[in-house]
Amino acid sequence: MNQMTNVKADRPAPMLRVDNLTHRVRLETDTLTILQGVSLEINRGESVAIVGRSGSGKTTLLGLLAGLDTPSDGTVELDGAMISQLSEDERAKLRAHRVGFVFQSFQLLPALSALENVMLPLELAGSEAPEDRARELLERVGLGERLNHSPRQLSGGEQQRVAIARAFASDPAILFADEPTGNLDNRTGQSVSDLLMELNREQGTTLVMVTHDEHLAARCSRQFHIEAGVLTEPSAVEELTH
Amino acid sequence: MAAARKLMSVRRDWRERDVRVVLVALIIAVATVATIALFAAQLQRTLVSSASSFLAADRQLEAENGREIPPDWLTEAQSRGLETGRMVEFSTMVFGAGGFQLVSVKAVSDEYPLRGQIETQAAPEQPRELVRSGPPPGEVWINPRLLRLLELEIGDSLEVGNRNLKVSSLLVREPDGGFRLSALAPRVMMHVDDVTSTGVIQEGSRVEYVYLFAGDDTVIEDYYQWLEPRLEPSHEWEGVRDGETFSRSLERAERFLLLGGSLAVLLAAVAVAVASRQYALAQRDTVALLKTLGVRSRGIGRLYLRRLVLWGVTGVVGGLMVALPLFWLLTRLLSEVLERPVEFHLSPQALIPALLTALVSLFAFAYPPIRRLRDVPAMRVLRSQPGEAGRGALTDAAIAILAVFGLVWLYAGEISLVVSLLAGLALLLGALGLLGWLLVALLRKVRGGGNAWRLALVGLYRHRRASLSQMAVFAMTLMLAATLVLVRTSLLNDWQAQLPENAPNHFLINIAPDAVEEVGAFWQERGQPLNQLYPMVRGRLTELNGEPVKEAVSKDERIGALNRELNLTWMSALPEDNEIVQGQWFGQGDVDGVSVEAELAEKLGLALGDRLTFTIGSEKVTEPVTSIRTVQWDSMKPNFYMAFPPDGGLTDMPATWITSFYLPSDEKTALNAFSRSFPTISVLEIDHIIDRIQQIVRQVTQAIEAILALILAAALVVMAAVVSATLHDRQREGALLRTLGGRQSLLVRSTMLEFALLGGFAGVLGVAAAEVAVWALQFRMFEGSFSWHWQVVLPVPLISALVLAFFGRWQLRPVLNVSPMLLLRRLE
Repeated sequence: MNQMTNVKADRPAPMLRVDNLTHRVRLETDTLTILQGVSLEINRGESVAIVGRSGSGKTTLLGLLAGLDTPSDGTVELDGAMISQLSEDERAKLRAHRVGFVFQSFQLLPALSALENVMLPLELAGSEAPEDRARELLERVGLGERLNHSPRQLSGGEQQRVAIARAFASDPAILFADEPTGNLDNRTGQSVSDLLMELNREQGTTLVMVTHDEHLAARCSRQFHIEAGVLTEPSAVEELTH
Repeated sequence: MAAARKLMSVRRDWRERDVRVVLVALIIAVATVATIALFAAQLQRTLVSSASSFLAADRQLEAENGREIPPDWLTEAQSRGLETGRMVEFSTMVFGAGGFQLVSVKAVSDEYPLRGQIETQAAPEQPRELVRSGPPPGEVWINPRLLRLLELEIGDSLEVGNRNLKVSSLLVREPDGGFRLSALAPRVMMHVDDVTSTGVIQEGSRVEYVYLFAGDDTVIEDYYQWLEPRLEPSHEWEGVRDGETFSRSLERAERFLLLGGSLAVLLAAVAVAVASRQYALAQRDTVALLKTLGVRSRGIGRLYLRRLVLWGVTGVVGGLMVALPLFWLLTRLLSEVLERPVEFHLSPQALIPALLTALVSLFAFAYPPIRRLRDVPAMRVLRSQPGEAGRGALTDAAIAILAVFGLVWLYAGEISLVVSLLAGLALLLGALGLLGWLLVALLRKVRGGGNAWRLALVGLYRHRRASLSQMAVFAMTLMLAATLVLVRTSLLNDWQAQLPENAPNHFLINIAPDAVEEVGAFWQERGQPLNQLYPMVRGRLTELNGEPVKEAVSKDERIGALNRELNLTWMSALPEDNEIVQGQWFGQGDVDGVSVEAELAEKLGLALGDRLTFTIGSEKVTEPVTSIRTVQWDSMKPNFYMAFPPDGGLTDMPATWITSFYLPSDEKTALNAFSRSFPTISVLEIDHIIDRIQQIVRQVTQAIEAILALILAAALVVMAAVVSATLHDRQREGALLRTLGGRQSLLVRSTMLEFALLGGFAGVLGVAAAEVAVWALQFRMFEGSFSWHWQVVLPVPLISALVLAFFGRWQLRPVLNVSPMLLLRRLE
């Protein structure tokens, strides 16, 4: 099932390497451990699902992997960079050029049109022709006719398509998706996840997705389970026991 | 409904930013209006009572015909509860050990002065004392100079007509003294009961009877209504407000305070409107949810109305809690400036405008958007309805604008003020429309990039609707604040220009033509050069176009100038502060014509070319009116109703000369030497009058500064309200930008730039609109002249750009310090 893990020797450096990651949150009276000793490696071009119930710590893990937050302990190496050692600005630069995001709640800016929302990361990265690229992507996700609509005028599925177009706009090396179909009905969810997987394949992007949807998870090349902050990889465990 | 009510409690409300802004704005509005109203009432009382002392009463009735008024006029006044007093003024020769001297006698009754105090000195080197009544019968108080002129000592007797009166004290200052040029000679004050026994007043003597009245304003007004039909042309009824010097200062101060009050209310109203609109938008989800749970529209309406009432109560109570200590502080300040205790007078009427402000602010500005919450569809729970946000904004604006002008009209009572503000606002909105169009057209071309400038411009374009409406509010706020600062500045400058540091504070009168040079040399030697000298000829205006003037002029007009001798002069150059309003000033070599003061010309109905005949001694002079000019009566310089050209109608008439000059208080002893060298020349000391005017100006200035501070606070609240209206969106945008890889520094720079641009544009527009409003106000309300105010035009846009840039930076604070993930979750 997983060829990559079998060829351990002379493989290229992993896209993401996490070592003994622990994250604690200080509450008023005591400290809550959200993630506990998480270690994993994800190779370039892989698609990985992290599955777990609500409150299991999966979204926190995603944020830490993407460098949106810094862990209490442990290291995260993203595309060769130790992100826990980078400054906020260096992390921002890394995100601008190497990382894309898709959120459960879409996170489109209501003041901007669909086109402008997709242009935003391109502008931040200093792209030459942000509008052309954004237009092209929106056409690719089937919204070529709705470029100037504001998010309010779009359905949930359409909003998530805009978000996917935005995520792929800056040609990211790795894409993080947080419950991308969580706010959508089955059918729309299906078509959105089709789109996500297709684009991911086309662009050769590494995909890290957090979901509680087993079907969506099954479409990824690897799956991790997370429960009470502890990460396990069932397939790997299976392999070892075989 | 208990849970829903709990949802609506004010305490919970306070946690909402928009509600906090509404409440703070309400508190500021109520506090400002209450403070201004209370303080204006207090100032009015203080100023009037302090100005009243210039008359030694609230009103004076002067009989210039040499006859006493019928006794029942006084008994009528007394029966109405007014205090009365009486004085007789005449000139006479008095004799002392060292010779004789022409003096101006003021004989006063026991009640004198009804207002103010008399300053006396027991002997030349003794400290000055303030007393509340004049000399008792048998005694006189004399001007200190007279002591030397007549070689008298305190305790000696002074011969006044048939009587020898004991010099018991020196008269340093009378509350109503020295304002009229007729007081030519040194003063002697005696008791009115001694007048008859001196035998000085004979049939036909030049004597003036003056009656003093004091009491409640409305009673005085009623009494005047009774008195007016009985008055003859030679009677002159004078109140503080008729006195030319103070009335304008008082009126301007009052108007300024009212203007300030109106503007503060305007600003607070803007803040209330913006914040409650924002609040209503944010409440839509809650309302939709409540409706889903079965609350009907009417129930929603009631819930929010109840909440509005609670806000109102909080605003009024909070506002008064701010206003009362502030008012107390201002009252303390006032008594310090005046160097006397000022009664803390809490006028209940003054609180009415404050309540009204709260009511109008809430119902005209906060209610409309909140009322529409009833119409939020329950469907919103599932999906937001397009177009909801913009609905009703125009109606809201219309109601708000009407309410604003209603309020301003109510406070300032000046339609011209309303019109000026309206003109400024109309210009502002027109300019904004144009700028908005330009902005959209220009910024459309800008495309983003990593550069903060481009990102800022793109930001402006992206938020074009929000940017324009924010700009409109900022520009309006700045316009109102700048208008106030400008009006204040020009008001204070005007006052200072009228009474500069070394304004002339002494007049020399009755200088014989052959003494002019010597007098000039005397003061030149002592480093106090004289101002322009003017010849003065005393004469009456007797005929108008050949007809006796009293018949030619309507009987309804009671014109003091016709009943006394006027000071006529000739001059070649128009005095600097005079202005020709009709006709031409005398040209080189002109010998014909007379120039008439504008107000008198209007009262007499004079037109250019009318022929005026003056009786000077036994001579008659007739000249055509060749020009009409305005005169600054409060300039403390010699001013004349009638001016002739040199070698014109007044040639060969018996003239004396008059001048004014500045003498510092530590040089006043020079006056003694002067009086000894020139015994016939009268010195009119008005330094104490100038001191008093400057004191009044100072106290009004302080009040104005205090109120200006309140208003600027209101302006800041407006800015905060508007900026925080987009806070949520901007923070989310900031968090997202960071997630998508925007650097902190880029975010900070582009946001600050975007806000700075917004502030700069708004500043330019606001200042331009303020200049228009000030231009209109200057002409209509404050009678000043207009000039550009570079000291405000340049810094305001800069300051507003800076302030807004930092507001923007401040908004970003949570975005910068928290991990983007946490923020996105929190803002979801």
